[in-house]
Amino acid sequence: MQLQRAHDELERAGEVVLIGQATPRHAAHFRRRVELEFPILADSKRETYRAAGAKIATATELVGPKMLAKGVQESRRYGVVQGRTIGHPAQLGGTLVVDMDGKVVWSRMSEDASDNATPEEIIAALERASGAS
Amino acid sequence: MPLLGAARRKQQTDPPADASGFADIVLPDQDGVDHRIGDYWRDRPAALIWLRHYG
Repeated sequence: MQLQRAHDELERAGEVVLIGQATPRHAAHFRRRVELEFPILADSKRETYRAAGAKIATATELVGPKMLAKGVQESRRYGVVQGRTIGHPAQLGGTLVVDMDGKVVWSRMSEDASDNATPEEIIAALERASGAS
Repeated sequence: MPLLGAARRKQQTDPPADASGFADIVLPDQDGVDHRIGDYWRDRPAALIWLRHYG
């Protein structure tokens, strides 16, 4: 997973926490499967997804040609194949960077299933937030 | 029912200007230990990354 490869740089830049749907047991299984060191919080009711402004994808945003191409590319690059979907299959995610005053200083909520913040973008936003605080 | 529970109409993302809407929410981690989300940015800026799903 792209995030895990940048684990040390991300940890140096700030706190990093992942939030997923479903239960702690699912989170633990996913964490082992993709060999993630970051903590994962389990939001089975998707309450924080709504509060973060994440959206539900349309069918085209979920399985269009762009998304399939990116899936194949990432499987080849990182050797991770998508497993069985746990949670709402059309729920999209995203990333928010929050400073020590609780202000959202950077955001990238996914516009479609292939739209994810890169580790470099997240590190840069955390570093800017550290400098501004 | 639309494919995979997908939205019928395109939605807009709506990221908040501040984290007050979820700072006090408490969620369990992968070991079942509860965490208040707002505690993550108490000492350092925090990146919160919402996963699409665990698949």
